Amino acid sequence: MPDYGHDLLFGSFITPANAAPERVLDLAQVSEDADLDLVTFQDHPYQPAFLDTWTLLSYVAARTERIRLSGNVINLPLRPPAVLARAAASLDLLSGGRFELGLGAGGFWDAIEAMGGRRLSPGQGVDALSEAIDVIRGIWDAGNKERFRLDGTYYQVDGAKRGPAPAHDVGIWLGAYKPRMLRLIGAKADGWLPSLPYFTSVDQFAEGNAIIDAAAAEAGRPPAAVRRLANISGRFGQGGDQLLSGPPEQWAEQLAALTLEYGVSGYILMNDDPAVLELFGQEVAPATRELVAAERSRRR
Amino acid sequence: MDYAHPLRFGAHVVARTPQEAAERARLAEELGLDLVTVSGEETDTWTLLSWVAGRTGRIGLAPHLLDAAEWAPAVLGRAAAGLDLLAGGRLELGLGDGAGRWEASGVRPLPPEQAATALGEAIGIIRGVWGSDTRLPLRAEGEHYRIAGAERGPAPAHNIPVWTGGTRPDPAIAAGADGWLTTSGGLAADQAVIDEAAVRAGRDPREIRRLVTVAPRAAAPEWTGELVAMALEHGAGTFLVEDADEAALRRFAQEVVPAVRQAVAAARAARGVTEAAVPSSLVRAHRHPGIDYEAVPAHLTTIEPGDAGYARVRSTYMRGGSPGLVLRPGTPAEVADALAFARGQQVPLAVRSGGHGISGRSTNHGGIVIDVSRLNAIEVLDKETRRVRIGPGARWSDVAGALAPHGWALSSGDYGGVGVGGLATAGGVGWLVREHGLTLDRLRAVDLVLADGSLVRADDTRNAELFWAVRGAGGNFGIVTSFEFEVDEVGEVGFAQFVMDASDTAGFLRRWGAAIEAAPRDVSGQLIIGRPRPGQPVIAQVMLVVDADDAETVLDRLRPIAAVAPLLDHTIQILPYSAIMHVPPGGHDGQGDPVARSALADHLTADLAAAATRLIMSGETYFFQIRTVGGAVSDVPADATAYAGRSANFQLVAFGPSRARLDAIWDRMRPHFSGIYLNFETDLRPERLDDAFPGETLRRLRELKRRYDPANVFRDNFNITP
Ligand SMILES: Cc1cc2nc3c(=O)[nH]c(=O)nc-3n(C[C@H](O)[C@H](O)[C@H](O)COP(=O)(O)OP(=O)(O)OC[C@H]3O[C@@H](n4cnc5c(N)ncnc54)[C@H](O)[C@@H]3O)c2cc1C
Repeated sequence: MPDYGHDLLFGSFITPANAAPERVLDLAQVSEDADLDLVTFQDHPYQPAFLDTWTLLSYVAARTERIRLSGNVINLPLRPPAVLARAAASLDLLSGGRFELGLGAGGFWDAIEAMGGRRLSPGQGVDALSEAIDVIRGIWDAGNKERFRLDGTYYQVDGAKRGPAPAHDVGIWLGAYKPRMLRLIGAKADGWLPSLPYFTSVDQFAEGNAIIDAAAAEAGRPPAAVRRLANISGRFGQGGDQLLSGPPEQWAEQLAALTLEYGVSGYILMNDDPAVLELFGQEVAPATRELVAAERSRRR
Repeated sequence: MDYAHPLRFGAHVVARTPQEAAERARLAEELGLDLVTVSGEETDTWTLLSWVAGRTGRIGLAPHLLDAAEWAPAVLGRAAAGLDLLAGGRLELGLGDGAGRWEASGVRPLPPEQAATALGEAIGIIRGVWGSDTRLPLRAEGEHYRIAGAERGPAPAHNIPVWTGGTRPDPAIAAGADGWLTTSGGLAADQAVIDEAAVRAGRDPREIRRLVTVAPRAAAPEWTGELVAMALEHGAGTFLVEDADEAALRRFAQEVVPAVRQAVAAARAARGVTEAAVPSSLVRAHRHPGIDYEAVPAHLTTIEPGDAGYARVRSTYMRGGSPGLVLRPGTPAEVADALAFARGQQVPLAVRSGGHGISGRSTNHGGIVIDVSRLNAIEVLDKETRRVRIGPGARWSDVAGALAPHGWALSSGDYGGVGVGGLATAGGVGWLVREHGLTLDRLRAVDLVLADGSLVRADDTRNAELFWAVRGAGGNFGIVTSFEFEVDEVGEVGFAQFVMDASDTAGFLRRWGAAIEAAPRDVSGQLIIGRPRPGQPVIAQVMLVVDADDAETVLDRLRPIAAVAPLLDHTIQILPYSAIMHVPPGGHDGQGDPVARSALADHLTADLAAAATRLIMSGETYFFQIRTVGGAVSDVPADATAYAGRSANFQLVAFGPSRARLDAIWDRMRPHFSGIYLNFETDLRPERLDDAFPGETLRRLRELKRRYDPANVFRDNFNITP
């Protein structure tokens, strides 16, 4: 029954629709005002109805003060890792250490290829992501005075200048479901970020955790080196026996249970309704924190 | 050589630390400069630029030579459009050929010749992503990039100027670059190279704006002299002061810029040169014959087919269009100017507010659209009498949202995306109609621009005949620029959605009609039946609003209606009227031309119900709808407004795939009808005028049409021929 002991994070997942950009910006502001910790946006560069996620993250960072930001998750195949690394560090520096790097191997290969990207098999995608993490960490390693080189199968970097270093230890969180990706997380990443609606049962957290923990141990890392997060959806209203369908107190109990039993410490709500985000930040988040703190001190 | 571009002044900010660059950009904005360009050194340029965009509000923005290859060009195109949308149309795109690529990404740069080709390909792809003249996916087979059917869009907020630099301009200029960046030292020599490249690409050299970086100088007068010479002798249009510290930036903005502007303006006046930017030939190539684009008054906002925003304005909610010019006036006087211009052109004219016209053809092919969506203000004039002024371009969602905090609402339509202009000039049958009447029944005054360009006000005392005509046939008489309504006190309401088994279709329609007529006026609503599916029961969606905020009354009102047929599913909520009307903003992308027939009926008689059932069963309508009217609508005498169908309790509409087949059935149903509500009618046969405006009403309207619009300028919506 793992609880990895991380502080809890609560965030929003806002549709980056370009039909009304001011609405997207408003929802980001609502997230900050509701005391959420994190605002995130999906990244599908081939989707013409969306704002470019990288641009949006930078723009929102400039217009907020406190809230942290992440792609959920950034599409690696259309964002070359060396450029991405420098962009991520730049955004972290500009925002005073508020950026986290949610990253994914990509999935919609037809669309990726149509945009000029390279088609990979799912397995190749994982290997490319692994190389990309090396590139990103290599570029961020600004203290190292040697130019960065990597002659990989998927990425070749022929002596890039390193730096800048980000303002804080930017977490690399991977969106993942399958064992190969989960092992990669255990070996190299800082977070696991699946979407709960894709799970058939919450026990998939336990199964995933086991794979990640084993891979981490093999790499000589403690299990707590990897934060477990989840994109969640739900509704507020009269209680039922479904997960996240009821009043805020019921959400808090259910989320606290996920934290204490499955080690999840980041909850990102997929919703574009300001009233719902407010309830999540103002009521669910503090109530969940309280329940988790009480149980953690009891266990200690 | 002076290309006579209006001069622009900016600062090129280099990021030694990202924070410093952002601060310098803010200072440039404060100092009133036109443009700030940023380059990152270590910092990622695009990230820095997006950040600066978020921290500024007015100044133009550009990356100072972004490597188009860093991110896939198609991704960059989409990112640029997105930033332009976020930043309200402030972006310019400075692109480089990747000479610095090695430093940044560890990918070796291409040899110069190939780099120039690659840049040209990238510009083509970026412009293709923005492309608005076609819905076809983007394909490009280049030496360096391959795009295999990417979706296009979004269109940026404005035509993003693309500029670049270097010594091999041909590929970029052929691909549509609008500007060329050079240094003060290189300017004189570069001009000829660029001019020749432009001519080789079939473009006018004046289209290419010349941007020059200039080093800060200590003495303002000498600095001024240099820039004046560059503008007048060597065609410089934009000056970018290079990496200036705060003092130098202030000196540039406060001393040099005004002096250069003044000297250049004086010299141009003396030489008889008029300042003007020559539009790109890539935009001009899409112009339609029959419109004299050069004669459009310069102060009007326009969108033409080659412009970035064209995809967002060409079509309406229901119709595909390809107008030659969309004029977007921002004041009543500009509406008059737009109209005067349009009248001088021998092409069709359409008037558009919210773009949801069905009878109203608010787009066209090759003609002009006057789009008044910018006239969208909503103001409370008097709290006591609940008097509100609303611009035609507001959408009913916005109106409901603005009135809600006062505890008010205005009976409008059922869908918040619809515009005020087209609905309030013809009727307005909505969720509160039986209790509060048609939208136009709440109208107390209008301001409009008449065909002759005059701006007039009409109400019960001034231009009373015109006011009568505007309430039901407004689209025939002018362009309304503001409406004054007396709105009603409305709080939370009951909103019910029923799914009913309408297999006994005729019986269901009859019983539903009877239940509605028996219901108090606080009940309004509609039913919708789609095309029946073989082997499945006919399903009716019923939606009702009860203007009451207590559950008991709401349920009391709903029970008899719920009992008319087996209830398969239902939801009942009590919520603010504005929540029912809420629709997020968005553009239109309609295609084709809708086929819809409309009618009013006093009662849903057995005969009408049987005829409607035959229509539904024929499969010739995929959307059959009956809305409630009557109640307060019938309190108004038939001759009080041009909307004359006051006896009706129901309004019917059918959309179908085939005009001929739908007409054949609908025409036979005519004996059961008592008129038509024109807003849902697409039939153009002249008899429809008699249906909408029976007898004396039509005679009066024709007479007024002869008085107010003898040349029949306004004819895109249910035309009353003079
Ligand atoms: C999805 C949908 C739902 C609808 N629901 C309802 C409903 O519930 N109740 C109802 O009554 N109607 C309803 N309608 C019909 C609607 O009222 C008409 O289509 C109306 O014309 C739309 O107004 P608009 O401003 O959006 O249209 P536009 O397309 O902008 O204009 C349509 C026509 O109105 C005229 N017009 C527009 N602006 C002005 C102006 N400023 N001055 C003078 N004339 C002008 C022009 O002739 C123009 O061709 C609905 C339509 C749609 C598409």
